Parts: sequence; structure tokens; C-alpha cells
Amino acid sequence: MELAEITKTVISLARKVDEKNITLTPESALVADLGLESVQIIEFLCEVEDHFDIVIGEDSLADVVTVSDLAELVYHLSREKKL
Amino acid sequence: MSLLSNFELAESRKKQLEGLPINPTGVVLEKIVSPTEALINGKIVILAGTNNYLGLTFSKDCIDAGIRSLETQGTGTTGSRMANGTYSGHLELEREIAELYSMPYSMVFSTGYSANLGTMAALLDENNAVLIDSEAHASLFDGCRMSGAEVFRFKHNDPSSLEKRLQRLGERANSTLIIVEGLYSIRGDCAPLREFAELKESYNSYLLVDEAHSLGLYGRYGRGLADQLDILDKTDFIVGTFSKSLGTIGGFCVSKHPQLGLFKYSSRPYIFTASPSPAVIASTRSAIKLMKEGDHLRKNAWESARNLHGALESIGLDLHPIPSPVIGVSFQSEEVAIQFWNILLESGIYTNLILPPAAPGGGAVIRCSVTAAHSVEQINKIGACFKSIAKELGLSKAA
Ligand SMILES: Cc1ncc(COP(=O)(O)O)c(C=O)c1O
Repeated sequence: MELAEITKTVISLARKVDEKNITLTPESALVADLGLESVQIIEFLCEVEDHFDIVIGEDSLADVVTVSDLAELVYHLSREKKL
Repeated sequence: MSLLSNFELAESRKKQLEGLPINPTGVVLEKIVSPTEALINGKIVILAGTNNYLGLTFSKDCIDAGIRSLETQGTGTTGSRMANGTYSGHLELEREIAELYSMPYSMVFSTGYSANLGTMAALLDENNAVLIDSEAHASLFDGCRMSGAEVFRFKHNDPSSLEKRLQRLGERANSTLIIVEGLYSIRGDCAPLREFAELKESYNSYLLVDEAHSLGLYGRYGRGLADQLDILDKTDFIVGTFSKSLGTIGGFCVSKHPQLGLFKYSSRPYIFTASPSPAVIASTRSAIKLMKEGDHLRKNAWESARNLHGALESIGLDLHPIPSPVIGVSFQSEEVAIQFWNILLESGIYTNLILPPAAPGGGAVIRCSVTAAHSVEQINKIGACFKSIAKELGLSKAA
């Protein structure tokens, strides 16, 4: 799957947990903009992992702020899996 | 950014808490009257928010053992277990814990927190993966971080979420540690340990169960939930604390793997801290004896648990459906929970208020816990207070 497509999918998964009903863009910040509590973030990440059939380590999340950061991480993890 | 700007978040949290009528993190127990009563704000209240599940904090045996030890061995060891801090009592306690579980080896740490740090730090390194329940205690996460292992969370108490991740890890599942608790401390829900144990067997992984809150309450001799569900033989490591049912302080790890005996050479949280004081060790040994023989204590604790759970359930409050000595009442609204908690305290009932982000599942939780030492009258009073406050705030079924 290409990055653009992954970004779209991540946005659609995030929409399910977006309580503030904001317009999500790749630049939306997961915590600050979506207003997610840590519990929801974990649920959301589990959804993302299950959708793409990957596992995301805690450490690799340190640099993830926006939807597009997460999409890039998913992109790399999905490619690693195929190699 | 200055170094001290790191405290901005803490500062804002502090301000928020101080703005409440009573700061839930600032409660002082001015005098302890008994295992179930204390003086707070000059008034005697019932303690329904401790971890004193077997009610042993004032046990004569434990106090006498502590006093004898203070008088004969002094106030502290002044050193590490690896230097001058191993007294025969420490070794006796380790032997007794191993014996309790019919396992070859156990290790005693200065706190439950350091037992988790110390176990994980010795057991894991960068090459291992960890699959940890998303609601596991902070000490388990901190232990993983300290070890450098790669950490993956799975959904709370969800075997299918765990299995998917074991599958995705492929061959790495062979060297993966699964970390869960027995009884969870906030909502009072138990882990589906049988299902987890089956998964660990089929993927050849390892299982660690933190019995911090289940010790004393579940299983034969109070050994915990893994024993109650008959999976001790499939559990690789059990960790626990002395600070809850046993009423003292300290922690342990016990294992069927003889390698646990080597942990002490590489476990920094074991080596670089002073060992528990001899009096604490002596009281803990007495408490373990009382726990082993404590079927009557368990019976009391469970009767109180079922009574209070039934009372709160009949009001229509949001509880975990299966009773346990930990009863967490969930609230959608943080404000309502804070108000409820305050009125409880003013009415003479101390409970724990858990606010987001610490509360599982969002929202806030008022955590009640009962002990073997609570009387029927005390439990009835707690139930009655909940009922009248729920009515006052328009939360009861009938309202
Ligand atoms: C699940 C769990 N593990 C470990 C600990 C740490 O134990 P202690 O407070 O005795 O250090 C606690 C309690 O605080 C806990 O709830």
C-alpha cells in the first residue's frame, strides 16, 4: 500500500474516535487536535495495528505527533514485514 | 526551553487539583484508629479505599514480630542485599515464599515497584519483545523500559488482541514475555489467565503475572489468581507485593525457572538499593503465615465484597459485573465523580478518586475496597451513603 493510501486509511480510522468532530488532515495532531485521552489513543493504535496487520512498538511512537507521522510509521512497518 | 519548564504540566495539574473542594491527592490520615478507621480533617472516617485486604496492619503477631526484630536486629540494614544487607531473615522469607508456591526460588525486593523493575531489568534486553496488557501497572511498563526490550501493548484483558500480536511477532514469539496482572486495582476486574496461559503455551512464549492485588484473596493459601485458575505450572514468573494484603512493604518474584537465582547478579534495582529493614521482614513473615492460614479472613473479605457490590449494583451504579474486594464505580463525568467523592468523605467514608488519564476507559472512577476487617455495619453504612448520594445527585435507578 502506498503512503497516500495509508494516510487516508489512518484518517478514516481516526475519524471513528474523533470526539471533537474536527476536519482531519494529515497535519492533525493525534493528542492535541483530536483531544484523545491516553486510553483512546491505545484503542486507536490497536485498531491501526489490526487493520494493517502490524505491531507498533512503544519506542517508535515517541516521534509520532501527527496523522502523517503515524502513516509514515505504518508505511515503514508494513514494508519491513514484506522484506 | 529551560530545564525547569518540564514542570509546567505538573504545575497545571497541581493547580487543577488544588481548585477542588478537597484535593483527592492531598488527603492526610491524621491518626490511624484501626485497619478500617482513621482521622481525616479531624473526623473519624471509615476507610473504604486501602489495599489492606486481609486487614492485617494491626495484627498482633505481625506487630510483635516487628518489635522483637527491631529490638534485636536494629532499625535498618544500611546496605544492599549484595553487600551487608542480607540477614538470615531475608533468606528465610525467600525460602518461605518459594515453598508457598512449590517453586525452587524466590527473590525479595525492597518494594513491589522495584520487584517489577528488578525482574524485568534482569530478564529482558533489547532482543526481547514484550506483550503487555494496556492497563498494566506503571511499574510493569517502567520495568520494560528499563530493560530496553521492545514493548507492544494489547487490548486490556483481550486474548484475541494478544493472539493477533503473537502471530505478527512470528518467530520472535519464542522469546517474548507476556505481562498481565491478576486482579486489576481500579475496576476490580480479573485477567482471563487461562486463555492467556493457553496462548503462551501454543506460541512458546513466557508469562509473567503480577498478583499485587490478588495475593491473599484468591487461590489456595491466598496464592493468587494463577493458582485459583490452576495455571501456576504454566506461569513462568509471579511477582507480588507485601504492601497490600500483607500490610507491610516490599516485593517478590517467584519462578519455576532456576535461572531466577542468577537474577541478582544483573538486576540493578535489586543491587543498588538498601534491603528491607529486618522488622519489615519479620512482620512480613508473620503476615504470610496468617495469609496461608487465613481462610476465615478471605471469607470475611469476600462476604463484604459481595454485600457491597450487591448494594452498589442495586443502586444502578456502573460497576464491573463480577464482585471482588475492589469495586470501581465508573462515572462518565469527572465533575460528578469529584462531587460524589467529596460528599462521601464529608459523610465519613474515604474512597479513592481516580481521574483521567489514570482511570481506565476514560471518565473517572471512585474506587472502593473492602477488607477482612470491615464489620457488617461498616459495609452497610458505605452502601447506604452511596445510595443517598446517588439519589441526591440524580444517579440512582429510581431517579
Ligand atoms: C499491579 C501492581 N504492581 C505493583 C505495584 C507496586 O507495589 P508497591 O506499591 O508495593 O511498590 C502496585 C501498587 O502500587 C500494583 O498495583
